Amino acid sequence: MKKSILIIAAVLMTSVIFAANMKYYQKMGQTLPKFGECKTIEDYHNLGNEFKVIANVEKEEWLPLYYHAQCNIIMSFMNCDAAQKDEFLEIANESITKMIAIAPKESEVYALQAFYCTGKLVVNPQERAQKYGPLSAQAIGMSLGLDPENPRAQYIKISNEKGTAQFFGQDTQIYCTQAQELLDKWDDYKVKSRIHPSWGKQQVEGIVNSCGQTN
Amino acid sequence: MKSLGILIASIIISSVSFSQTVIIGCVKDEKGVSLVGANVYLEGTYDGTSSNSNGTFKLTTKEIGKQILIIDFIGFKSFEQAVVLNGYPIELSIVLQEAFNELNAVTITAGTFEAGDKKKSIAITSLDMVTTAGSAGDVYGALRSLPGTTTVGESGKLYVKGGDSRESNTYIDGTLVYVPYSSSAPNTSVRGRFNPYMFSGTMFSTGGYSAEYGQALSSVLSLTTNEIDINDELNIGILSVGGDIGGTKAWKKASLSATFGYNNLKPYMFLVPQNNDWINEPTSMSGDISFRLKTPKSGMLKFYSKTSQSKLELFQNDLNNPGEKNAYRLVNDNIFANASWTGELKKDWILYAGTSFTNNNDDATIDSLGLNKSLQGIHTKVMVSHKLSQTIKIKAGTELYSKQYCVDYISSIGKFTEQFSNNTLTGFLESEIYTSQKFVTRLGSRFEYSDFLQKGNFAPRLSTAYKLTPKSQVSLSYGWFFQNPDDDFLVKTNGLDYEQANHYTFNYILKGNNRELRSELYYKEYKKLFKYGEVEPNIYTNNGNGYAYGLDIFWRDNKTIKRGEYWVSYSYINAERNYLDFPEQAVPNFTSKHNLTFVYKHWIGELRSLVGGTYRISSPRYYNNPNTAEFNAEQTIAYQSLDLNWSFLYRQNIIFYASASNVLGFKQQFGYQYASKPNENGAYNSQPILPSAKRFFVLGCFITLTKKGDVNQLDKIN
Repeated sequence: MKKSILIIAAVLMTSVIFAANMKYYQKMGQTLPKFGECKTIEDYHNLGNEFKVIANVEKEEWLPLYYHAQCNIIMSFMNCDAAQKDEFLEIANESITKMIAIAPKESEVYALQAFYCTGKLVVNPQERAQKYGPLSAQAIGMSLGLDPENPRAQYIKISNEKGTAQFFGQDTQIYCTQAQELLDKWDDYKVKSRIHPSWGKQQVEGIVNSCGQTN
Repeated sequence: MKSLGILIASIIISSVSFSQTVIIGCVKDEKGVSLVGANVYLEGTYDGTSSNSNGTFKLTTKEIGKQILIIDFIGFKSFEQAVVLNGYPIELSIVLQEAFNELNAVTITAGTFEAGDKKKSIAITSLDMVTTAGSAGDVYGALRSLPGTTTVGESGKLYVKGGDSRESNTYIDGTLVYVPYSSSAPNTSVRGRFNPYMFSGTMFSTGGYSAEYGQALSSVLSLTTNEIDINDELNIGILSVGGDIGGTKAWKKASLSATFGYNNLKPYMFLVPQNNDWINEPTSMSGDISFRLKTPKSGMLKFYSKTSQSKLELFQNDLNNPGEKNAYRLVNDNIFANASWTGELKKDWILYAGTSFTNNNDDATIDSLGLNKSLQGIHTKVMVSHKLSQTIKIKAGTELYSKQYCVDYISSIGKFTEQFSNNTLTGFLESEIYTSQKFVTRLGSRFEYSDFLQKGNFAPRLSTAYKLTPKSQVSLSYGWFFQNPDDDFLVKTNGLDYEQANHYTFNYILKGNNRELRSELYYKEYKKLFKYGEVEPNIYTNNGNGYAYGLDIFWRDNKTIKRGEYWVSYSYINAERNYLDFPEQAVPNFTSKHNLTFVYKHWIGELRSLVGGTYRISSPRYYNNPNTAEFNAEQTIAYQSLDLNWSFLYRQNIIFYASASNVLGFKQQFGYQYASKPNENGAYNSQPILPSAKRFFVLGCFITLTKKGDVNQLDKIN
């Protein structure tokens, strides 16, 4: 009797944990598709709120923080006011810092950090390029060091370098080729789970298309 | 067992029957304005929603029983309320209270221009120091485009709000720089010793500064050096007047960099005609080392050292003997080193400890007479800041200023030496209290004791700021400031007292949308200034006094012109003093009543160029003509200059630079120099004081080679 109670308890407990885990996957699975529906800053803000709520419950998970930060970075790109851009980026940075503490060996976290640095840079390139350019490159380096195939880190790298080359009036063909190569093998990259980051393909397509237009 | 089954069943039934609860409500701030996008959720659950454009929300949850509802919104205190969920709808009206946020809180701005990573001020940044035309890469040159300062062409130093240049102090990473300017021949312009690229933060206070700073009657410039370098780099700078080469090695938690520079104006002065009669054109050599180390708990150790030597030799007209010339030769050796550490002792306790060392020798020779001045100074400072609460900060610290100053007079008869050494021990305590996000008071006091003067002083300081609207604020400050008399007087006697200035400053700022308007009214009262005895000039006294009042206006606009930014500074200064050898109260010769500076910068994308221009006009200054009866009554011509510069980003790592001062060739003349004794007709011979040349041109190229990050950069150079 005693033994069976223990077994039941054990089964109950694992199922509780499992159920909790399932619940987390389920919730993330429900929330992620909303990225596709976001159109305005407000939409991204509200979606970011949803990820924040999940992050508040799942203190050991880095993914809700990742998406919360991503929402805010996107918001900074959509906003026109420099001070507000910075405000959104500061919120993003808080989540990035927390996320890196939780998953310091995860390639994706640094890819997003690089994205954040690029966001900081474009607010005022004249004043910030010197600081955030190298920081972005450093984060990309970290990301690719942990996973050389990470397509998002590769995308940000190509995008940054192409932007720089364009600025200096240099030939961008090499980056167009790189973007095409990245696009060709994009689907070969195995995303760890359906709730892991998988964005970026559209953006790379954007680069490839813009290359087609200029050439 | 049976009872357990019933329990489970009842839970299932209850959760089915009360399947969901709806919570509706609205979120407003204290003024009743609806808050859009507030995050509304039940603690520990996934159930959440955001308030919509009316500030209302509807949260549907399957949770039951007692839960905690949380409402979060950036800039507001998190709101929590216990709710009982039993299927009946709940309606709430929520008022969020504004959170105290240091970033949005009012700051004390009276007398202060601050810029840096975390500062939101757009007053003037480190980048401005490099890109402002007319500054020629000189920290002080750039600061002269701010209101409150006067351009004194024959000096090049900083003169603030009717104060003399020695009334301004420069600190690097919290430690004093005893000799911040280069050495030069009398009546020729000097520059700051430090490269503006070194700094990422600047705090320039033109009055009413914190009790943390003392021994300066007029102003304080506090520079913060760059953080840790993250890339290995090789930097090469080639200029029309010299060049430098530097390297940086970066590790994960540390970085080390070293630079060697050499300047020689001979080729330049050969090509561009000069007003001076040079024997040996100015040359200088310098080497610096900087080390950064991240220590645990976000601590940072910084070390910097610079050694330099400069030489020049020229002929000066001997005004006492017309037609004759004296050879003036100057050799300057300077060493500056400082180390500082800032870190968290424990939560909300920050310790700063820093020390600097200066060794400066100016060896001047006028024909066969030698005048050697040497100064050794050490400044050590320890400061603790403690955050008592969100709204109360306390700062306490102590400093030791030690100085040894020695003057050698060398002639054919022999050597005669005068010297003194002084230790000033200080202590300061200051609190910053926020009564609300809109109102802050800073109350401080400072105590100093000098073992050479054998006197102490006590300086109270008080500043407040009040935010009128989200975009405008007023700030007031009052304080007493003390400084030891000049070294050249202390070397003769210790029977002197501190000089004193009391500052009253009122400042109004309106800013937003990348525009800023600052206006400042001030009054300064000078007391106990050094003065030669009226009857017996060899008796030194503290009987001098004076005053200065004025209005400063600063307007910066980075918005109106696309890709362009400009600022306008206007200062009205009315100052008089009776000090040194003045027979009466008179306008000192370093102030202009009206000063106007206009700075413009424009980014030309197609040319990848930043072009800039600075126009400056200052009303005439007064100087003394001993051939007239009235003291300091003659006026110089007004000062005007239009300076231009152009930076071209050829590649990410290659920058070309060109600058020209006074392109329109305005006549510049800084008064007259007079003989020390009258000639046979009883008149004093004179000659005009002119800039060393009408215009000054610089051409340069700066190259950065990096190894890490972007390997391609090495290829791009070829």
